[in-house]
Amino acid sequence: MTVLALAGVTRVHGDGETAVHALKGVSLQVGEGELVAVMGPSGSGKSTLLNLAGGLDRPTSGAVHVDGRDLATVRDLAALRRRSVGYVFQDLNLITSLTAAENVMLPRELDGVRSRRARAEAMAVLTEIGAESLADRFPDELSGGQRQRVAIARALVGERRLLLADEPTGALDTPTGDEILRLLAARCAAGASVLLVTHEPRYAAWADRVVFLRDGVIADATDVPMASAR
Amino acid sequence: MSIRHGLLALLSRGPRHGYQLRVEFEASTGATWPLNVGQVYTTLARMERDGLVEPGETDDQGRVVYAMTDAGRAEMERWFTTPVVPSDRPRDELVIKLAMAVEAKEVEVAEVIRRQRTATMRTLQQLTRAKRDSAEGAARLLVLDSMIFQAEAEQRWLDHCEAVLKEAR
Ligand SMILES: Nc1ncnc2c1ncn2[C@@H]1O[C@H](COP(=O)(O)OP(=O)(O)OP(=O)(O)O)[C@@H](O)[C@H]1O
Ligand SMILES: [Mg+2]
Repeated sequence: MTVLALAGVTRVHGDGETAVHALKGVSLQVGEGELVAVMGPSGSGKSTLLNLAGGLDRPTSGAVHVDGRDLATVRDLAALRRRSVGYVFQDLNLITSLTAAENVMLPRELDGVRSRRARAEAMAVLTEIGAESLADRFPDELSGGQRQRVAIARALVGERRLLLADEPTGALDTPTGDEILRLLAARCAAGASVLLVTHEPRYAAWADRVVFLRDGVIADATDVPMASAR
Repeated sequence: MSIRHGLLALLSRGPRHGYQLRVEFEASTGATWPLNVGQVYTTLARMERDGLVEPGETDDQGRVVYAMTDAGRAEMERWFTTPVVPSDRPRDELVIKLAMAVEAKEVEVAEVIRRQRTATMRTLQQLTRAKRDSAEGAARLLVLDSMIFQAEAEQRWLDHCEAVLKEAR
């Protein structure tokens, strides 16, 4: 089953002389349980692609479907994002006035989950990524790598079916980065789908499929693995 | 390095016979350096001649058990305390190929890079899968990591070539 589908997606920022064609007709599908990595140089359109996939931005033309729903017709995009899509931002976006655990709880509480249960869920996912001891610290009391883990925990919490991660290994050393990828791969094995943006080949290599983005178009991709490979 | 240094390292854990040494050597270095048992026995014979090992008892299957001598221990220590120098490296075909692609006429360098990058990424995916599925010891995993870092360096170099050539155009 296809969890994420982009069909002929373009995105033009601005208009006239200064228009930037960030994406020029990208089609991409991510299946259930699939880990897909997007690689490309700076400015090639990776973050733009992820923003469109998560409904944070709208395409200039083309369509984005999540779980079979056309995002252009979804009324409550915010609810869809909280429930179905986990997002790790390139600049993390942790809320500085909340502790690590509270940051992770937030999407669940916004979704109406009781505090107690949200906290239990947050602690479970923080433990899963080895950050349970950081639960009560505020973002500015954490190292860059620790903040990164908390942001990943926030994206994993709940029953998200699609995880979008923009350079989630940015501030991590290689063994820790490998650990994060091991975790994402395990999530995929459990049925989630992951679209990962990275410029580091070693992390892209964890993916079932690697897509190379160049100047807003998909220049190449490694083969789609056979369905039986899982 | 030579096989003898590897065998000395394994013998530092205690006396072993040739077959056992072969199995342990391959378990720690993986597919990077396959040995046959004949190579192990010829090496042991030379090491015995040079006083680095000495044969001991024969086990119930008629296999001679070798032990490391003091001279063997000294040689192993010398090896571990001497840094490796990248001496005459074997020529890297990819590097030569790309250099020649830049010089040659009627060759689309960007296309050579694109193809190679996808191929190198497939290699990297295979290595990563092997690492993910590996339940074996730390030594074997670190050997896999080394291959991963090498493939990654190649991939980065290809990206770099692409960016530099694009600038130059
Ligand atoms: N809001 C915006 N307004 C105008 N141009 C934009 C906007 N967002 C992105 N762009 C442009 O779109 C192109 C693609 O940007 P994008 O952020 O997707 O790149 P990227 O591949 O994520 O790069 P990086 O690796 O540096 O994060 C760039 O040329 C960028 O300047
Ligand atoms: Mg980006």
